[in-house]
Order: sequence, then C-alpha cells, then structure tokens
Amino acid sequence: MNLRYAWTEVVGRPMRTLAAILSVALGVAVFVSLQAYAEGYREAARAPLVEVGADLTAQRQGAVPEKFEGMVFPHSVAPIHRAEIDRIQHVPGVHKVAEALFFWSFEPKGFVAGLGLDPADAFGPGRLRAAVVLGRFIQPAESHVAVADSTYAQQQGLAVGGAVSLDGQAFTIVGLVDTTRGGQLANANLYIPLADARALAVVAPQVRSVFDIQPDDANLLFIKTDQARSEEIAAQVREILGDKAIVSSGHSFAAELGALFALIDRFGLVVGILAFLFAVALLVRVVAGTLWERRREVALMRAVGWQRRNIVAQLWGETLAQALAGGLVGLVLAALVTWVMSHATVAVPVPWELSPSPHFLPGGASAVAVVVTLSARLTPALAAWALGLVAVSATLVGLWLPGRIAQVKPAEVLRGE
Amino acid sequence: MASDLLQAIDLRKSFGELQAVRGVSLQVAPGQFVAVMGRSGSGKTTLLHLLAGLEQPTAGQILFRGQDIGGFDEDKLALWRRANVGMVFQAFHLIPTLSALENVAFPLYPLKMSAAGRRERAASTLALVGLSDRADHRPSRLSGGEQQRVAIARALVNGPALILGDEPTGNLDGATGAEIMELFGRLRAETGVALLIVTHDDKVAAGADRVLRMADGRLSDEEWNCRD
Repeated sequence: MNLRYAWTEVVGRPMRTLAAILSVALGVAVFVSLQAYAEGYREAARAPLVEVGADLTAQRQGAVPEKFEGMVFPHSVAPIHRAEIDRIQHVPGVHKVAEALFFWSFEPKGFVAGLGLDPADAFGPGRLRAAVVLGRFIQPAESHVAVADSTYAQQQGLAVGGAVSLDGQAFTIVGLVDTTRGGQLANANLYIPLADARALAVVAPQVRSVFDIQPDDANLLFIKTDQARSEEIAAQVREILGDKAIVSSGHSFAAELGALFALIDRFGLVVGILAFLFAVALLVRVVAGTLWERRREVALMRAVGWQRRNIVAQLWGETLAQALAGGLVGLVLAALVTWVMSHATVAVPVPWELSPSPHFLPGGASAVAVVVTLSARLTPALAAWALGLVAVSATLVGLWLPGRIAQVKPAEVLRGE
Repeated sequence: MASDLLQAIDLRKSFGELQAVRGVSLQVAPGQFVAVMGRSGSGKTTLLHLLAGLEQPTAGQILFRGQDIGGFDEDKLALWRRANVGMVFQAFHLIPTLSALENVAFPLYPLKMSAAGRRERAASTLALVGLSDRADHRPSRLSGGEQQRVAIARALVNGPALILGDEPTGNLDGATGAEIMELFGRLRAETGVALLIVTHDDKVAAGADRVLRMADGRLSDEEWNCRD
C-alpha cells in the first residue's frame, strides 16, 4: 500500500471521508456509551454489597413470631445452622464467611433492632469499626458491651458509658457509630458481640417457639468470594439453604433497579451491536459510492500493471484509515457521553428483607436505598474492544468491496472515454 | 516473424452478436511506429485493448516476443503490461488527487522500491517529456497538452518496449496534437520504444512507419511511409 496515495485520496475527497468517519463514529459512540452505561449500573448495583465489603449475603425466610415480646427473629432471618455455614465455607471460591445474628427486641421502653457481630471480622458488620463517631468499637472476646447507632442514641438519650437493657440483660455502651457509613444492609440500633446475641437467642421464648435455634447458629451471613464466580457461588449457597434462601448478589440488586436497567442490561449489547452494524452498513454505502466514483482509477491501475492484490491492499488501507479515524472520533464522543452520565446518581433499592424493621412501627416498611453516582466510564478494555471491532469490520468491508471493484474490466470502463 | 515485438494472428473479438474484430493479423517490429486508422466503430479501440491484454480475444493469438500471452490470467497480464507495455489514452486518465510527478510514479507504486528511488525515476521520466517544472502541479493546473505529456511519461516510466496509444491527440487542438506526436517521435528515437497508435487523424498517421486501415473489424489496407 502506498501511504502517500492513500492520504491524498482520503483528504482529497473530504465529503466522502467525513461521511465514512461520522458513520463509524456514531456507531462506536452508541455501542460504547450503552456498554459504559450498563456497566455503570451493574457497578451501582454492587454498591450495597461493596459498602459492607462482601460479595454475597445469605439468609433464609422463616416463620413469623407468635408474639412480639422480648427477643424475636424477623421472618426474613431464620436461623442458619452450623453445618450449613460449614458447607458454605467449603464451597469452592468462597474466601471467608462473616456470621451475624439479626434480631428485634421488644423492650418495656420500646423497640430495638439489634445485631450480634464478630468484631474481629474485617468485612460485613465488622466494618462499622471505621464508623465510630464517639467512644470505641467492641473488642474481640468482650461481653455485655454494645455500640449504638448515633441517631438512635440521640433519640433515646443514650451516651457512651451508659447502659442499655436487652431482653433483661444489661449492656454497657462503649461507643456510638454512624450506621449510614457502614452501609444499608442489616442496619440496627444496637450492635453487640455475636456470642452475647447467640446466648440471648437460644433462651428467647419467641425465638424458640418458631425456630430450632442452636447455640452456634447465625441468621445472616456475609460472604467474600472469588468475584468472577460470585453468581455461580450464590446458586450453590441457595441450594444449601433450600428454597426459602435469600441470597443477595450484584445480580439480585441489579434486578431491583427497575425496567430501564433491565432493558439496558438485557438488550444493551444487542442494541449496541445493531447500532454498530448500522454504522458498518453506512460505511459500506460510503465506500461503495467512493469506489464507484473511482472505478476509472481502478481500471487505470489494472491498465498500468497493478495486480488485484495491489489494488485491494491500497483500497483496504484507505477504508481502514477512515474507519479507525471514525472509531477514535466515536470514542471521544462516547467519553463525553459517559462523562455526562457519570454525574447522574442511582438509588439502589435495598429490599426490606435485608434490613428489616417492623411494619407496625412508624416508618417501619419505608424503602431503604443506597444512593451512588453512576460509575459510567470508558475503560481501556472497552475502547480496545470498540477499536478492534472497527478494525475487523473495516477489514471485511475493505477486502470485500475493493475485491469486487478490482475485478472491473478496464477495457469496459476506459472504452467510454 | 521471430524478430517481431508483437504479433497478432487471426485475432477475433465478439460481443454477443456483434463481431468487433474479425480476423486481424499484424506485426509490430521493435522501435517501429504503426498507426491503425479507422472511423468510429471500426473496431480499432477493441483491437488496441486486445493487444494490451485488457480484453480477452474470442479467437486468435497474440505473441509478444514470440510468447503467447493468450494463456495469461488477469494478474499475469497486469505484470506483463507493467514490464512491457505503456498505455496512453485520449482522456489522459490522470489521478486528480496526485501531482504530475506522483502520476508518473503511479505504475511504480506496487513495486518494492524506495520512495526516493521511485521519485528519482519518475522525475527523470518527467524530464524526458519536458515537464520538470510542473512536477508538483495537480492535473487540474495543467493544460491538455501537459496532461498528455504526463500520461506519456507515466507510460514510459517502467521502460516499456511498446507504447499503445488510443487516440492520444483526440482531445487536443491541432498544434498541441502535433507537439505530442513530435514528442512521441523524439522518445522513439531516444528510447527505441515501439508505438502502436489508433487514430482517425491523418496527421498522426503521417508520422508512422506503417499505416493500417481498419473498417468493419478488418484490416482493409496497409501503407508504408518511406523515410529518407
């Protein structure tokens, strides 16, 4: 291919070149923007889990308590027994499981949502350690201590050093935490050591009346997994916990994002590819038009001794150059679109089951959501994919059409002069 | 004859029912100038295209330096033209986006040679036709005569043994046409290239060694012009 000749042809036909570049640019911009948009939503859907540092949460539906007295388990967090937790820990791809015990406690002074946690856990509710606003966090092996949500503490007049009663047992408040900084999953008013919560649960009449609670059970699991396999692992966890399992993953939160995201998630790739194919069709039209204009030039090439492969290589190079220029322009357009999109916010709904509060309390059934900015961005991998598609398409177009025009019979074309 | 550069034997070409060339036989010797004259539709352009390998004959043989080119495929014919034949057209057929120098170098583009070498060869060929000072001009900035000179330089750039011309003066006024024919004559003397030109212009034919007259697809007459 002669670069000088290719360059003079590309710049010497500015309207044709512009049409080719714009065709490809629009296709690439639509394709890349849709993928960036969908990926931004997928990343947003992972936000509730990212906030607690887990890839999955697991719980199980159970029975509704007979009475709302003392300690009860909401029906969305039935006990998960030790044998089941051990099986989950041994699922290939599971790195670690953090256990917790979520409960409600109906005290004489009012309702308390509580969570028993292991303060040694680096993820799950253990991350609340970073959300302490006053005092300190629970230390491993401590007993009968609690940290309180700062808003709850303010409403109830609780202070660090004070005491709070749970199901008849006193807990010393050692710190206040800003729960919102620890995520929106399993939000509670009081956080106590897991061992204390278990000890309360196994003797709680309203827990025992509906569940076969064991001393080492949990009812909420935060699971860290091999991220590439998290959906496959979620399916295995569901199998272990049975048909009443509630396993939350990036996909399940994505399902909460509504119809628009569902459409983009399902059809974004298809629509993007269709837009790209439409752009390729426009490119075919432009290149075909250009080659029709240049058929005498092609005939001349044959007449002065160019072989077919010389002609195809020359015209392919010109098509590829125009398409790649269009691809680069399309990436710039897509970068602008994704920049605008990255200023939008997404509210990811957190299902009631993941942070339950009694319906009969004021605001008890109100929707909780994690609000994050849409992380739509043009990644190098996406850009490389788009340019790769452009190169492959331009090569196919650039070999097909010039291959046909190179078969022109010079005598027929040059005869008319 | 073995010494012939080009020999056509009983050449025929039909387009469906139309018989454009009906049994033409001719020879061109090295360095010879042969003019083929005839009216429009007489078949002379088809004959030229057959001799150039741009058209496949329906029957007959074309021998170049004794080798039958009838069995060549399209690409082999292209290579054969590149090595042996230069073509000059009535409408010049220059590439509008390329300069005069680049147009001359056009047949060299597929060759594996350095850009400098290509430029040097094109420049020296352009000098042969007296257009060195127009090397960077696009065709649109050249006169008709200058454009045809560039086309002639393009035909010569590969050092062919034969130039085939299709009404090379047809788009030029009389004076410019005469200049072009004078140029052909000079180049023939300097390079030894043979010329076969189809024309309906008596003045062009007057400079030829042989004039073949064509009518209704056949060669009807042959004249030899005597030179002192």
